[in-house]
Amino acid sequence: MRRSCCSDAAGLDEAGVTVPALAIAEGVTPVVAVLFVVVVLGWLAAVLFEVRRSERPARGVFVTGIVAALVVLGALFRPVRVSAHQGRVGPRVAVLVDQSRRMRLPGEKGNRRAVALDAARELARRWSSAKVDVYGFADGPLVPLALDQESTLGQLGEESDLTTALSELSGTPGERPRAVVVVSDGRLTRPAEHTDDAALELTLGALGVPVHTVEVAQAAPADASIRQVSTVGAAVAHQPLVLHLTIDCAGGLVCDEVPVTVRELRQGSPPADLARGVARPGRGEVTLDLEVTIERAGQRVIDIGIESPAGDKVPENDHRLLPLEVRRERVRLLHVAGRPTYDVRQLRMWLKTNESIDLVAFFILRTNGDDPNVVDDTAELSLIPFPVDALFTQHLPTFDAVMLQDIDAVEYKLEPYLPALEAYVRSGGGLIMVGGPSAFSGGGYAGSPLERALPVSLPRGVEPYDLRAFVPAYTAAGRVAPVLGGVRQLLGEELPTMEGSNTLGPARPGSIVLWQHPARSADGSPMPVLALGETGDGRSIALSVDATHELGFGELAERSSGRAYGALWDGLLGWLMRDPRYEAGGVTLVGPCIAGEPTTLELVAPPGADGALSLTIERLGPATESVFNRAIPRQGTTTRLDVGRLAAGGYSARMRVGAAPPTRLDFACEAGGRALADSRPDPERLRRLAKAAGGRSVDPNALGDLPLPAAAEVTVERRSSPLLPAWLWSLAAAFALGGHWVLRRRAGLS
Amino acid sequence: MSAARLGRRPFALGLGALALSPRSAQAFGEAGAFRARLLVAGAGHTDDARVQGASRWAQELVRRTSAPGRPAPESVEADRPALFREPFVVWSGSNDVGALSMSEVRGLERFVRLGGMLVVDDADPSVGAFGRSARRQLLRVLPEAPPVRLESTHVLFKTFYLLERPVGRVLGPTYVEAIVRGRNAVVLFLAHDLLGALARRGEGWAFAVEPGSTEQRERAIRFAVNIAMYALCSDYKDDVVHAPFLLQRRGRAR
Repeated sequence: MRRSCCSDAAGLDEAGVTVPALAIAEGVTPVVAVLFVVVVLGWLAAVLFEVRRSERPARGVFVTGIVAALVVLGALFRPVRVSAHQGRVGPRVAVLVDQSRRMRLPGEKGNRRAVALDAARELARRWSSAKVDVYGFADGPLVPLALDQESTLGQLGEESDLTTALSELSGTPGERPRAVVVVSDGRLTRPAEHTDDAALELTLGALGVPVHTVEVAQAAPADASIRQVSTVGAAVAHQPLVLHLTIDCAGGLVCDEVPVTVRELRQGSPPADLARGVARPGRGEVTLDLEVTIERAGQRVIDIGIESPAGDKVPENDHRLLPLEVRRERVRLLHVAGRPTYDVRQLRMWLKTNESIDLVAFFILRTNGDDPNVVDDTAELSLIPFPVDALFTQHLPTFDAVMLQDIDAVEYKLEPYLPALEAYVRSGGGLIMVGGPSAFSGGGYAGSPLERALPVSLPRGVEPYDLRAFVPAYTAAGRVAPVLGGVRQLLGEELPTMEGSNTLGPARPGSIVLWQHPARSADGSPMPVLALGETGDGRSIALSVDATHELGFGELAERSSGRAYGALWDGLLGWLMRDPRYEAGGVTLVGPCIAGEPTTLELVAPPGADGALSLTIERLGPATESVFNRAIPRQGTTTRLDVGRLAAGGYSARMRVGAAPPTRLDFACEAGGRALADSRPDPERLRRLAKAAGGRSVDPNALGDLPLPAAAEVTVERRSSPLLPAWLWSLAAAFALGGHWVLRRRAGLS
Repeated sequence: MSAARLGRRPFALGLGALALSPRSAQAFGEAGAFRARLLVAGAGHTDDARVQGASRWAQELVRRTSAPGRPAPESVEADRPALFREPFVVWSGSNDVGALSMSEVRGLERFVRLGGMLVVDDADPSVGAFGRSARRQLLRVLPEAPPVRLESTHVLFKTFYLLERPVGRVLGPTYVEAIVRGRNAVVLFLAHDLLGALARRGEGWAFAVEPGSTEQRERAIRFAVNIAMYALCSDYKDDVVHAPFLLQRRGRAR
C-alpha cells in the first residue's frame, strides 16, 4: 500500500536526549557470555581450592588468578562504550474517506464529498505532527488518496463497505495506525444499519485502536425515492413476477400519492407498460408489491419510475433500471403448417420429443377445395376451425416463438394479423418461416408487414419458387456459426438435395446468410436459403426449403442416424431463443454502468474464431439511436473496451466476429443506481460506531475535539566504540596468565 | 383372388417401367408428399391390382384433404438405400413371406429406428399366412417390441375422420395391432386387406368388399386416409387443443 499523505519523517521530535551505556562486543550472545563466566568462575574456584591446600604461602597465586580471569573475560567480551540518541515520533493515523457515489448528494454545507475531503485535509493540517494516511473506501479495496491531486479522487463506488476497509487496514503489514478516523455521511452498506453494539465492537475491535468518525451531513434532503427494488422469486417468462418496491419520502417532503410505473424497455418500439400502482408514503417509507408478467425470455431491462412531488431535490433516484435475466421453463412454441407433409411430420416429431418445448400446433388438414365425402362435417371429421383470430391476437404474446411452415397468408386469412405478428417479433418474439409452395412470396408475404421482420427481402413479380433440385452451399458465416456447428460436426459440408426452393431476395442489412443457393442469385449475390436476422428485440429465421426432413430421414440421414436433423433445429431454435451455446462469443458489462461515468464491456470471441471484431451499441427505444459503432482491435480471445460515458437508459450491445451472427447484450445505465437510492445521512450510526470502538464522533466543525494519539519514543541514533583494542586485550590476557603461571610454579603448584 | 400375382423380381421390373424415377417425379412441395410405396421383402408377392390400390391411396388423400400425395407407385426393396427416401412403406401379400435375409432385416430395422412407418397389409386375412409370417419376421427386426393392440381410442382413428374401427376389403377384427416405439406406432398390422379395398380395375373396383356395402368401401377409404394422415402428422390430433372438440363430437355420435 502506498503511503500518500504526509512524509514518513513527519512527527519526529528533533529535541531528543543522549544516553551513555556499556555493552559487550557484537557477536557474543548471552548464552556464550554466561558460558564464559561459568568457566572462568569454575577455574577461579579450583585455584582457590589449590591455594588453601598448599603448604606454602600462595596468596599471590590467588590474586594473579583473579586478575588473569578478569583480563581473559575482557578479551572475550571486548566491552564497548555505547552512546544512544532517543527521539519521539508522531503517531500514524488512518483517515478513511467514504468514496460512495452517494457522497455526491447535498448536505447542509454543500456536496457531502467536498465536505469530507475538506475534513480530511483539515485533519492532515491539524495533525501535522502525526503521520496521516488518507484512503478512500467504497466497494473495492482501499484506495490511497492524495488530497492535493484531483486525479486520485475520482473513482467512486456503489457501496460504503467500512467493514472490509477496516479489515484490510488491520491486515496491512508495517506500522499499525494508532487511530482511525472515518469521514462519511453514515449511510454505510457495512456494518449494516441494524447491526447491534456487540457486533459493532467485534467488527471494530479487531484493530485495537480507537475509531473516530466525522459526520459530514446531518439532515436528509427533500427527496422522494425508490429506495429498494427486489423480486420475489426468479423471473420466468409468461409467469407473474412480484416486484417488491420501497418508496420513501424524506427531508420534509410530503408524498400523499406517488404514481409508480413499471415498463419494459424494448428496441425499435416504445416501452411496454407492465404494471402501474400508487404508493402513499406520506413522510416516511412504504412498500408496494407490483405483479408483472414478462413474455420474453433473455436479458430484459425494466424501468421502474415514480412521479415525485414538487420540491424533490434528488431526481436521480426517481427511476431504477433493473436488468433482468428472464428464464423460461419451457419454450412455448406455436407451429402452424399449411398442409401436412413429411417435413411437417419430422419437425413435429422432433418438437414433441423435446422436453424443453411446450408445443401448440395447428395444421391445415382440409382446404375449401377438398372433398372429404361427408354429410356432416362435425360428426364425421375430427377437424376443428383454425382459430386464427385468437391465436394471433389474444394468445400471441404468450408464445416464445412462432413457426410458419408453408402456410398461405391469403388463403388462410392471416393477412390481417401480419402487422401484429411483425410487432410481436419487434418486441422480442421469435419467428421461423419454413419453405414450401405457400411460404414467403408464394404465400402472399411479399410486401406485407411481416416481411420487415424477416432476415431477407421477398421479391414480387417473379416466380415464387424454383423447381430445380439443388444442394444448399454453406456460406463463410455458415461455416463458423455455432448455430450450424452440430450439423457440420455430423455431416461436414454435405447436405441433402432439396427439391427446389422459394425465391428469396437478398439478406437485409445486418442479417446473416448461412446457406445459399449454388446457382441462383438475388440482386447480384447468391440467393439466401437459410438466413438469420434481428428485428427490434426479436429474432427471425428464413429457411426457403421444405426438405430438411431429409437430414432426419433419408439416405444421407442414415449415415448420422438422423441426428443431423435434431442438431439443425436445436441450433436454429436455440439461436432464436438466445441460448448462449449458439451465440458467437459473449459480451458482458464490467461493473455497473452509471450515467456519465466510463463504461467498460468485455468482449469474448469464440475460440478459433477469425475475422474482425466490431461492436455496436444502440439505445433501447422506438428510434434506433446508435451511440457506439466501430471496429475493435482484438486482444486475443478477451477484449476489454471502454465505450465511453453513456446517458441514463437501456442499451443493446451487439458484438460481431467476422461474418458470424452477432451476440447481443442488453444492459442498463442508471442515473444514480443503488448508491443514490437512499439519500438520507445516518450520523447516528457513526456515533454508535465511534462509541463501540472507543472513539469520538464529531461534525466537520469540531475536528479539534478529536484526540491525537500519544507520540511513540524511538531510538534515532546509536554509536559504539571499544574500551580497548582487541589486540591489547589479548596481550594483557597473555601477560596475566603468564604471571599467574610463574607464581604457581614458585608456590609449588602444578 | 383373381388378380394376377407377380413374383418379387417381375414385380420390381414391372414397376420400373411403370413408375418414373422418384427424383425426377418430385418437384418443390413434393418432397414431403405422401406416397404408399410397396415394400419388396422375402418371398412376398403383391398383385398388380393392389399396386394400383397403393396409387389410389394417394389419390384419395389428395382429393379429400390438404395433404399432397404422389400417386405414382413405387416399390422399394428392404435392403436397398432407396428404402430411406421416404418414411412410409406398405408390405402387402397373401403368402408366407419366408425368412428375410439378414440384409433385409438390417434394412428394415434401420428404417424403423430412423422413424419410418410400415403398414403390413394381409391381402388374404382369411388364411392369414402372410400376416403371421410377416409378424415372425418383424419380431426378428424389432425383437424388443412385440405388437400391441390399438383400441378405437387411438389417434389413428381420429387423424382426419372420426372412425370407430378399422375397415378394409374385409371387415376383419375391430382393432389394429401395432409395434409402438416411444409414442409412435411404427408398424401397423392390418388383417383387413386395405389395398384390396382401394384397388380399382378399369372404371370399377378390383375386388368386392366382404360382407359388402358401399358404406364399407367408404369406411375403408377413410381408414386409409387416416393412416396417411398419421404418417404425415403423427399424433397431432392427440394435442390438448383438439380434445374438447373431439370429446364433444364423439359423445354426440354415440
